[in-house]
Amino acid sequence: MSVLEVDGLTKKFGGLVAVDDFSFEVGEGEIVGLIGPNGSGKSTVFNCIMGIYGVTDGAIRFNGTDITDDSTHEVVNKGLSRVSQESNPIDSMSVAGNIKLFTLPNSIVSLRGGASEEEIYDYAARIDIEEHLHEMPDELPHADVRRLEIAKSLATEPEMMLLDEPFAGMNQAEITELADQIERFREQGMSMVVVDHNMGGLMDLVDRIVVLNNGDFLAEGTPEEIAENEQVQEAYLAGEGL
Amino acid sequence: MSSETDTGRGIGGRVSGAAGRVGGAAVDGLSTVTEPVDRALRPIATVYNRTLGGYFGEMNGLQFVLLVGAFLGLVTIPFWGNYTLVQATWLACIWGIFAMSWDIQSGYTGYISFGHSVLSGGAAYTTAMLLNNVNAELPMRITIPISVLIALIIGLAIALPSLRLSGPYFSLITFVAVLIFYRLIRPLSEYTGGETGLGGIETVYSTDPVMRTYAFMIPMLLIAAALLIVARSNIGLILVAIRENESAVEAAGINATKFKIWSFVLSSIPMGIGGVLLAHRFGTVTPGAFVVVDNSIEMIAMAVVGGMGSILGPLGGAFLVIMLEDVVLSGFESEIKWSILWLIVLLILVFARDGLFRKLWHGLDRLGGDRR
Ligand SMILES: Nc1ncnc2c1ncn2[C@@H]1O[C@H](COP(=O)(O)OP(=O)(O)O)[C@@H](O)[C@H]1O
Ligand SMILES: [Mg+2]
Repeated sequence: MSVLEVDGLTKKFGGLVAVDDFSFEVGEGEIVGLIGPNGSGKSTVFNCIMGIYGVTDGAIRFNGTDITDDSTHEVVNKGLSRVSQESNPIDSMSVAGNIKLFTLPNSIVSLRGGASEEEIYDYAARIDIEEHLHEMPDELPHADVRRLEIAKSLATEPEMMLLDEPFAGMNQAEITELADQIERFREQGMSMVVVDHNMGGLMDLVDRIVVLNNGDFLAEGTPEEIAENEQVQEAYLAGEGL
Repeated sequence: MSSETDTGRGIGGRVSGAAGRVGGAAVDGLSTVTEPVDRALRPIATVYNRTLGGYFGEMNGLQFVLLVGAFLGLVTIPFWGNYTLVQATWLACIWGIFAMSWDIQSGYTGYISFGHSVLSGGAAYTTAMLLNNVNAELPMRITIPISVLIALIIGLAIALPSLRLSGPYFSLITFVAVLIFYRLIRPLSEYTGGETGLGGIETVYSTDPVMRTYAFMIPMLLIAAALLIVARSNIGLILVAIRENESAVEAAGINATKFKIWSFVLSSIPMGIGGVLLAHRFGTVTPGAFVVVDNSIEMIAMAVVGGMGSILGPLGGAFLVIMLEDVVLSGFESEIKWSILWLIVLLILVFARDGLFRKLWHGLDRLGGDRR
């Protein structure tokens, strides 16, 4: 059974159709790559899944439950978590404080609770930023800020993670390291959708790739199939390479 | 000796970083004197930190002395203060409640309310109208709970529709709410007493002289303790996170709207209590003294002067402003006095934006040296 089902998703911004009747599914334990040239609607798909944007048409189901009209915190509490393209840590709180926020119960009468220091350490250690727990986010190098975003996401104990351009701005060594970490999440049973604008970091990582072009579904297949797909090559010809 | 101990270590680590770094050299010199003092007092502070620190926040020896000293000075005022000072203290306790209540909502969430006097005014008018329009013999144990309940209802009536809106719209709505309340008093003068207001409220003078002060001080201290516990808990952390980055709060699986409404509830209840106390302080409720929008702005000024987002800062700010107004500057006529007061507020806004008491607190943190 599919964990995540996006069914005929359409999102319009005024006259602009950012996503047009787009469908895809993610199975349990699967890593799906979602690629497409810049502006093709990848982030918009994530924003619709996460309840940031209301959908114009279509349905989104998670574990068989309809989450199309859920608000963000409801989606998160059902086990879906997104790492945004832009990092947005709270600069006045330490790395540990930023992670802790993501473990707090959604209860107005819970004075204590949330993760203990050991648990926060464990979340940080899963993505190798446990050395930086007491630093402030603005003291961290770019790659570690990105890792903090992933640690926050892990702290919500998701069943599935949506990663929006996790490799952006990283050098080759950092990309390889992060790909290994993502691979480890999968071994721990996590399902994932990884967005990137090209296939570089995804080739060895993902089971399957879905291609989005101008908001439309373009192709789907194994990384090898997609690399050889002529339509995909054409779509990318206008802009950057695959 | 590190001045940075508190900045990164505390999980909810507060803004302090930048403010703490400024003026380091001078303070470092002073700390050769103050460090031994701090060390001597540290054992007491440590006992406090181990027992209550988790609820109210940890502190070093010097900070402990400041707080305990202020507390002891305050509760003994009826025995050493002159009449002017004692009366100013009553008012300072009430305005302290207002400033703290404003803080837990506006200071913490960043959704700035320009209309909090509608809550205290609503409670005060409820007390007055119950006594004048229903039954002059109603006891306080009936009028007080109803008045506080009305403040809560008004608070929810403002919060529920408006907190979904972005900051500026929320502020505007709270502002308009006071204007509407203020303007409605005259047309409804049959019930509200119009411009002259409503009297017939039992005043504090009917109790024993010493107890009068505690009638204001005990509610103030209880509210301060309750709000501090909330502010230092997960709830305070979430409210601050809403101010800093609301979308991160939602991404954390937390319903930001629910917490914003909750902050309004946490604010409305003590606002109602403060409004009732103010009614019993003067015995007469008038639109000019209880509702007018200036009141809302004064609460904000007190909170900002003391340091918003800290509960105790706004409390200190309220005492500072009221003491200036009623004791230090009491010789000046009202217009001049308020011009001076607003000028002081302006100077603090420009030169000590984090608030005087927050500056003082972090100064003591540095002077005390390393806590461990
Ligand atoms: N909030 C918004 N308002 C208006 N247009 C938007 C908004 N978000 C995205 N878009 C538009 O939708 C299209 C898809 O954007 P996006 O999903 O960010 O693309 P990608 O993530 O694939 O680069 C773009 O044309 C973008 O300008
Ligand atoms: Mg994008």
